[in-house]
Amino acid sequence: MTTPLEAAEPAAAQAAGPGEERPTGRGVLRYALSKLGGALFGIAMVLVGTFFVFRLLPGDPVRNMAQGRNMTPDQLDAERRRLGLDKPLIDQFIDFVGDTLRLDLGMSYEYKRPVIDLIGERLGPTLLLAGTGLVIAVSLGIWQGTRAGWRHGSRFDRFSTGASLLLWSVPTFWLGLLLMMVFGVGIGPIPGILPFRGIESVDAPDGFAYVLDVASHMVLPCLTLVAVVYAQYLLVMRSSLIEEVSQDYVTVARAKGLRDDEVRRRHAVPNALLPTVTLVFMRVGFVVGGAVTVETIYTWPGLGQLFYAAISVPDFTLMQGTFLLITVAVIVMNTLADVVYHILDPRVRSA
Amino acid sequence: MRRWFARLAALGVALLVAGQGTTAALAQDPAAGKKIMRIGATQAMDSMNPFLAVRVVSTSIHRWMYGFLTVPDSKTLQPSPDLAESWTTSEDGLTWTFKIRAAKWSDGKPITAEDAAWTFNKIMTDEAAKTANGPAVENFESVTANGQDLVIKLKSPQASMLENPIPIMPKHAWESVTDMTNYDAEKYPTVSSGPYFAVEHKKDQYVKLQANPGYWRGKPKVDELQVIFYDNPQAAIAGLKKGDIDLLGRMTPQEFEAIQNDPNIEAWNTQGRRAAYLQINHGATTTDDKPTGDGHPALKDLKVRQALHHAIDKQKLVDEVQNGLAKPADGSIVPPMYKDFFWEATGEEKVTYDPAKANQILDDAGYKKGSDGVRTMPDGDRKLEFRFTIHTETPIEDKLAEYLTAFFKEVGITLTTVKLDSSKFTEETGITGNFDIAISGWSVNPDPEEVMATHLCSRRPAPGGEGGGTESFFCDDTFEKLYQEQLKELDRPKRIDLLKQMQERLYTQAPIIAIYYTNDLEGYRKDRITSITPIPEDKGLLYGGSSYWPFYTVDVKATAASGGGAGGGSNTGLIAGVVGGVVVIGLAAFLLTRRRKSTADERE
Repeated sequence: MTTPLEAAEPAAAQAAGPGEERPTGRGVLRYALSKLGGALFGIAMVLVGTFFVFRLLPGDPVRNMAQGRNMTPDQLDAERRRLGLDKPLIDQFIDFVGDTLRLDLGMSYEYKRPVIDLIGERLGPTLLLAGTGLVIAVSLGIWQGTRAGWRHGSRFDRFSTGASLLLWSVPTFWLGLLLMMVFGVGIGPIPGILPFRGIESVDAPDGFAYVLDVASHMVLPCLTLVAVVYAQYLLVMRSSLIEEVSQDYVTVARAKGLRDDEVRRRHAVPNALLPTVTLVFMRVGFVVGGAVTVETIYTWPGLGQLFYAAISVPDFTLMQGTFLLITVAVIVMNTLADVVYHILDPRVRSA
Repeated sequence: MRRWFARLAALGVALLVAGQGTTAALAQDPAAGKKIMRIGATQAMDSMNPFLAVRVVSTSIHRWMYGFLTVPDSKTLQPSPDLAESWTTSEDGLTWTFKIRAAKWSDGKPITAEDAAWTFNKIMTDEAAKTANGPAVENFESVTANGQDLVIKLKSPQASMLENPIPIMPKHAWESVTDMTNYDAEKYPTVSSGPYFAVEHKKDQYVKLQANPGYWRGKPKVDELQVIFYDNPQAAIAGLKKGDIDLLGRMTPQEFEAIQNDPNIEAWNTQGRRAAYLQINHGATTTDDKPTGDGHPALKDLKVRQALHHAIDKQKLVDEVQNGLAKPADGSIVPPMYKDFFWEATGEEKVTYDPAKANQILDDAGYKKGSDGVRTMPDGDRKLEFRFTIHTETPIEDKLAEYLTAFFKEVGITLTTVKLDSSKFTEETGITGNFDIAISGWSVNPDPEEVMATHLCSRRPAPGGEGGGTESFFCDDTFEKLYQEQLKELDRPKRIDLLKQMQERLYTQAPIIAIYYTNDLEGYRKDRITSITPIPEDKGLLYGGSSYWPFYTVDVKATAASGGGAGGGSNTGLIAGVVGGVVVIGLAAFLLTRRRKSTADERE
């Protein structure tokens, strides 16, 4: 009896090198292409959806921008012309699709700057925060999930599952403010030393000190982000490991005389990882969207904050641009997840 | 037990490092000796270009950077010389001649009438440049410069000429800008004429401004101003408490209470510039006098509006909705902080809280109470059931709605609350007229002409549904006539009298009912700011006044002397980074040892 892990290794080799096993390699390619087609169709639908959904929202951006200011109907009309809102809807749509394909996401109503520039500025901070958060949450979740699942029912299991579920159910905003008060401002004997605003200090130092400065600004947002989401990785990992524990190959591995630790690390965990991989890839897509709440609490200059600002105006072009970016990222990552999954697990391929 | 020891040890190491770090950090602070004033803001700048910027924070910062023709006097709030050192008006009031002060831009070039003429002409001729202050030049026929003399010819007389809100821009630095719409003005240092010039702007993070040594009033006392943006008010308050910022303005009563008992913070509570009022749909019409919207017909009756006014206990609203941090409104839309323009109802005219009288008025007018205690229209069976439109997610407005519902129930009127998001709210209460009663408010400028204009016939929406910015759908001949008269009245006392008559008209006709004037709530660090002069100087506003005066007069302790609080921001960051690193390494080491130990256990 072979373990699925051993089977996976030659499969990966086949996918990598198109040597003798041509049919399988072509299979993966054909599969990837069909998935790509699906993704392109999805993106096209998102384009259509985005355009019309954002125009169905209540509120006229021009009226909203004029709020509290003295603007005559003539000026409102001029403003509409400037923004291209006076054209028929279908013309606006054609313009929109053409521009989007040329990566021109339009001008932000509020900031009076190209949306693509605004997004570009925000992408770095968002990837830094949400990426770090994801890596920590996934590692923590997988580590705790593995231990909890392996000895399920143990004190560690009950404690870590309970704690993660508790944090999962806490409102992000509340937890963020609490952490800010305790570790940012300081309560009683706890000194408030962690910064809680932005990505760097106003008088940020240069060189290595700058790295430390940014790192210190990341502690609280990262902590909040991880605390709230790591439960999902923990639970998925834990439940799939519990399933593996009762499998025959685990018994065989034990019978071979392998140490408990090795049975877990080399046999059970790699198989149990598959559902977690899917979950992680899905979340990677959302990383681009940032974490709206966390970014808003800690004034982190990321895409989530930009999206939030766009909604409150409402700034149609900016909303459209950020929304498009997020949905496209999710679609792309999901497609990638499908393909990677296909390569990782031979069972999916034969099915 | 052992793992708890390990955790405690890690925490101990972290605290130790933090303690040592602070002492070391203070010794090598790079900003030592500099006077830096840090202002918190819960809104980020929309644009550095004064032709485009509309947000309050942006126009405030631009006021610190650029001079105007005139500015409100720091004591009386009357127009006083700024870049224009004197001015004359022709007999017919159509030609104004301003003498521009012989001062210098921050780059050393002289300020001339050319600069002012260029600024005004740019706005008059370039559609894109109209974005921020277009209406302010609408009445301008022509603007010309002759040496230091600026001549503005008007289409019709305008008494508020001395309240012009347009900052004068340097022609030599700006005339090369062709595409104003897309010009973000992110060029540093800026060429400025005000007490400060900007040296750095990190979008949505902060703006740094430096004292202008050549400022015509003299160099400010502080060396640097930093405006630091926060995304949410709670974080800004936490920043003030920690000492990351020195001053925070525009607080709500709830936020204000959070800082009131902090020994290091001066809680600033003075009369504010904002009036809160109820907008009553007394028969909304468009500019062609055709009815629009679905307002309740009973509200067209002045008697019903007056009864509503009598039914409101404004003092209770102040005490319980605003936590006592407001003043009940016995006037109209101009708050009492503007001593000159404030009109207060007295004698017979004054509407007091008197539910018995409200019931009496409604009884006499034929609105009979039904068996359920709710009144009906005299000529039919439509009940007096009104909607109260408020914004979503505004706890204060929710609370206000609760109290008003209870007040109106006393006089046989049912009130139900409708919550709308801000853009829908603007549309229904300002354009379509689909409301009965709505909450509203206005932050009034030293000259109330603008807020008065929001109640003019011409401000109603056009028949096509285009909004003109009405605050009430009011259209009243007496009010219109008074407005036109005050436009031409160049004699200040006479003009003030006309503006007071307009407030009286709004009060008695009740298209709006003022409920209270909210206080200006701010807070600043006593341990950092040694002196700051509000505007007006007698118990006035700081940041809330949107004036350069408090920030020109402010003095702070030099950075090295700060001692307490957070010290230099950069070092705090450094310490925190080190601590964070130590904690992470400690945790990792701890987990590794745990792992080895458990493996060892399994081996046994």
